[in-house]
Amino acid sequence: MDDRDDGGSRAVRISSEEVERFCDFLYRRTGLSLSEGKRYFIDRRLEERIAATGSPSFRAYFSLLRADADHEIEFLINSFTVNETYFYREDHQLRCMTSNLLGTIVRQRPSGSTIRIWSIPCSTGEEPYSIALWLMENWPQVDNHNIEIVGSDIDTRALTAAANGIYGDRALMRLSRVIVDRYFKPIADGRHEIDEGLRNSIEFTRANVIDPKDMARYRDFDLIFCRNVLIYFDDASRRQAAENLYDCLRPGGYICLGHSESMSRISPLFSVCRFPDAIVYQKPEADHG
Amino acid sequence: MPLIRGRRGSVAPGATPPPVLDDPDPESRWAAARALAGQADAVPELAAALRHETVPRVREAILTSLMRIGGSASAEAIVPCLRSEDAGLRAAAIEALQALPSAIAPMMAQLFSDPETDVRLLATELARNMKASDATRLLCDLIEHEPHPNVCAAAIEVLAEVGTPEALPVLERCSVRFALTPFLPFAISMAIARISGAEG
Repeated sequence: MDDRDDGGSRAVRISSEEVERFCDFLYRRTGLSLSEGKRYFIDRRLEERIAATGSPSFRAYFSLLRADADHEIEFLINSFTVNETYFYREDHQLRCMTSNLLGTIVRQRPSGSTIRIWSIPCSTGEEPYSIALWLMENWPQVDNHNIEIVGSDIDTRALTAAANGIYGDRALMRLSRVIVDRYFKPIADGRHEIDEGLRNSIEFTRANVIDPKDMARYRDFDLIFCRNVLIYFDDASRRQAAENLYDCLRPGGYICLGHSESMSRISPLFSVCRFPDAIVYQKPEADHG
Repeated sequence: MPLIRGRRGSVAPGATPPPVLDDPDPESRWAAARALAGQADAVPELAAALRHETVPRVREAILTSLMRIGGSASAEAIVPCLRSEDAGLRAAAIEALQALPSAIAPMMAQLFSDPETDVRLLATELARNMKASDATRLLCDLIEHEPHPNVCAAAIEVLAEVGTPEALPVLERCSVRFALTPFLPFAISMAIARISGAEG
């Protein structure tokens, strides 16, 4: 490990061995798998975090990271993932929902039964509204079933914003003009208000994913979107959250995690299902184990 | 917008009272184990259940509850699982104990001097989540006295990720001691390269 004088600004140089150690740690801790081919990407983000923490060397930074001092793991993960939320984020999972998951769910259910979908954490509502929009635009059977969508978050301010359903251009950047025109109404300051019917179709509630008592109020979901939150928890909390979510699903129900998360690294409770568009996790139909 | 039919009040009412850990029904035992998460006074009850539980899912819930409680009492409840005949339980116990690094640290010397090779080998994984200086000291002490090459190899693999330069002379001595064991000198050279490279 040495430092280099780079045009007057000092930047820490990171060796290949250090990158290997870092990648091993990151994979074990989060499931994020980074290869040598992403070396530039890794170096840039590591250098940013080393500078931000005032660490004099990679070794010093790695010690700080392993101890999770000042929630450094959270800051690091944030630097490796996209944190802002927007409509149709990770839409490959929405495609998987309509191409694979819902078909399996409705085949196993009596006709006329309700399909229950949960977005937790739902933040300011982009995800549950995206689920509703995607279903209406992409699932031909949408009129044949009762569908309930619940959005939950620990942050009541976010829930209020979700219920208001007002978004700026940036949140809508992945939506086509046709969809924006169909489901949003322009309001002041260049913002957009989502259709009242859609606002009323989603139930927003407060829930803490790691609190068993809180989560005991939620049962019988067919599909849960729980994306980009478990990665921030410690091992015990992640397992607790996984067990809570397990109890909230119907047998055979599915859970979608964020792209950088892996349930297999958290808990053996779920089966891994590989579909063309996404890897999702399933609560076994009959769980004797 | 009638296509998605929201239904107010779809949230279920409060949970039913938690059952007990020796219930014949695994669903009830699962619920009982989960209800005890974070309750420090439940450690003896969870520890007793862990000794007898055979359903993997319920065992996972017991371990999660002990992890959530934490502390030395939880760690002491889990450590006996390292001697289990059941590989699944041993692996689950390692995962649980890795989440309790400060609680397990005082027990490491005893684990590393355990007469069972498998226990010493498994215990090396527990150092992985410890502070680098503590993990290096513990693993180096083990390697200096460890007669079994597989235990040394396991310790070296952990050192390759978390070790500090203080491990280098210990690794070099180990390489000499096990020079005729085909895989160890190679594993040691890899670990030395990583630790040295990390130091620059």
